[in-house]
Amino acid sequence: MTYPFSSLPDNLAAFCASLRRDHQFNIGPRELMDAARGLEIADLADERAVRDVLRPILSKTYENALAFDPAFNRFFRAAEAVAPREVPGLPPRDLAPSASEGAVTTRTRPAMSDGTDVEVAAAETVAGAVRQVADAEDDAMATRLRASYSPLESDGTPLVFEPPGREWVEAAAALAARVHAGASRRWRPALRGPRFDFRRTLRTSLHTGGEPVTWRWRARPRRQPRFVLLIDGSRSMGASAHPALQVAVALSAVSPKTETFTFSTMLRRVTRDARLASAGERRVVQVQQAWGGGTTIGACLDEFLLHFSERLLGPDTVVMIASDGLDVGRPDLLRDSMARLARQSAAVVWLNPLLDTPGYEPTAIGMSLARPYVSVLTSVRDPASLGSLARTLRVRGRGA
Amino acid sequence: MTDPAAIRALFRERGFILNDPFATALHLMVALRKPLLLEGPAGVGKTETAKVLADVLDTRLIRLQCYEGLDAMTALYEWNYPRQMLRIRMTEGADTTLEQREAQIFSDEFLLRRPLLDAIVQDRAPVLLIDEVDRADEAFEAFLLEVLAEWQVTIPEVGTIRARHTPYVILTSNRTRELSDALRRRCLFFWIPYPTLDEEMAILQARIPGLEARLAEQIARAIQVLRDLPLQKAPGVAETLDWAHALIQLHRAHLDWAALEQTLGCILKVREDQSVLESHRERLQPVLEETLKPGGHSLDTDFGLGSVSTPHR
Repeated sequence: MTYPFSSLPDNLAAFCASLRRDHQFNIGPRELMDAARGLEIADLADERAVRDVLRPILSKTYENALAFDPAFNRFFRAAEAVAPREVPGLPPRDLAPSASEGAVTTRTRPAMSDGTDVEVAAAETVAGAVRQVADAEDDAMATRLRASYSPLESDGTPLVFEPPGREWVEAAAALAARVHAGASRRWRPALRGPRFDFRRTLRTSLHTGGEPVTWRWRARPRRQPRFVLLIDGSRSMGASAHPALQVAVALSAVSPKTETFTFSTMLRRVTRDARLASAGERRVVQVQQAWGGGTTIGACLDEFLLHFSERLLGPDTVVMIASDGLDVGRPDLLRDSMARLARQSAAVVWLNPLLDTPGYEPTAIGMSLARPYVSVLTSVRDPASLGSLARTLRVRGRGA
Repeated sequence: MTDPAAIRALFRERGFILNDPFATALHLMVALRKPLLLEGPAGVGKTETAKVLADVLDTRLIRLQCYEGLDAMTALYEWNYPRQMLRIRMTEGADTTLEQREAQIFSDEFLLRRPLLDAIVQDRAPVLLIDEVDRADEAFEAFLLEVLAEWQVTIPEVGTIRARHTPYVILTSNRTRELSDALRRRCLFFWIPYPTLDEEMAILQARIPGLEARLAEQIARAIQVLRDLPLQKAPGVAETLDWAHALIQLHRAHLDWAALEQTLGCILKVREDQSVLESHRERLQPVLEETLKPGGHSLDTDFGLGSVSTPHR
């Protein structure tokens, strides 16, 4: 382990600055002070001890924890040019920047490719990886690699999350109101309800000389529905994805339980960006590998199910997939993933921009495989069409 | 609790296996007195960590289970209204002033302490477990921030109560929603992954001392294979332990297909997952065939917790 600067505070400050700058860590003076205090109780000669102390203090999310060790290596061990090593407690693939990272997802739990800072390897390395994967007869993975690094692959179009207009928000609110979730466990004051409200009855009785003449009640309100948006970011979608991004931002504004993902050859969670945009901040997200190239819808949905189904899907969840259905992946994987999505959620809405094209029939293989599991197949191009969706959406088992 | 090694040893004595990074995170939590936010898949021991820590520190564990709709009153305090009303009725004819009656009905006797207030008023710093904080609403999270920052609670009728000792706080989250940056920044963060093969074997040996080393290894290896399958609900450590107990109850000295099928419900809780396993039988075959190989194992390896087996190379 080598220290680039002569003093410990300088090294620590520079390392924190590099985490902030290169890896979007949320590090302020408080974290810096905590790190300094933490190092007071660590053996500075022991690299592993230093890592173990700094990791929980400076990392604040799972993604941070994944990025920490490679960043630590780059900063403190750059001179030694070490290969990324396996670190106890985290899956090795997540720590080793490689040709495939960011573009290829594996089935290893609990890792998830998230498009965080990665080192994109040289083209020949990629070709080698493709050959290796193909040799291993892992067709799905090879397809993803080919799609991701195909000659059509470009820098891609950035995702632009615009603050939502009033019409979008109103239409999203109408949609959220349409989904009747179950009763919450919260007790709220209500005119009528199953539970007597002692506190309010007592307070009201002060107006009648302590005599509880007017009784107060409490009832359980409805739970907020959850929306999960999976937006196809492939080249074929192009500008048609913009309304879907607007839907994501508008739903984020009306329901804090909205989760947004984008996919093409890999899945990426962009919930935070959608939420910030809903609060009025324009967000431009550069996702080169996710936003361009072919689409492996089935594999990406499978990836979503593997990592997020347990946490995000349920009887109150409406899944919205925005895609043209032009798929280059395995058809059986798409069918199975759609079946699972439909089974584990209240409704699956497919937003297909091609439906606005005169003469279009959803007969593409991806679309035809997915259709039996889709509750509503429609297109959304403006707030009015989102409002129309709100009127037609039927949610299973809730009688909406 | 003087260093990570001591923490590891203390936890191990109680059957809880920690790796170095986790032990260091706990050490920092105690040394810096900062809340520790634990995230990880279900069933890896997030909640158990708090229980064992309370035992190690010989202090009380106070648990606040979060859920959707949890409000400040439920987490902090409530007045015992029925009792207050009864007291008002009973003392209606008494010769007391209004102030005296008020002081009486808003006294400690009528205060129902909920977990957060309870944690503040302890004579000895307790371990406060705020479990599944992601299930609570964002409004509650904002309230929590205030408590974690100030460690004081204001009750209008009583006044401000300050913590006598800052509790050791462990928050757990299953990531059903993203926690706010503000809450994260007040905490240390540690991601608990599924245990490695060696760690899982050590856990089995530590928690079930009578378990045959060969069976422990087979269970641990089978679980590692299962976690790599595309299951809806991957088995956690709790399932591993349940499975081991079930096999012991059935007097199984080794794992084979018959034993697996008998006890499948201990590890796979979704019907579709059982179908997935069926279609990936060949992945488990090497693990289940281990028992057929005579002398296939060396039983001499010690992971610090007794004899366990490793594959013979």
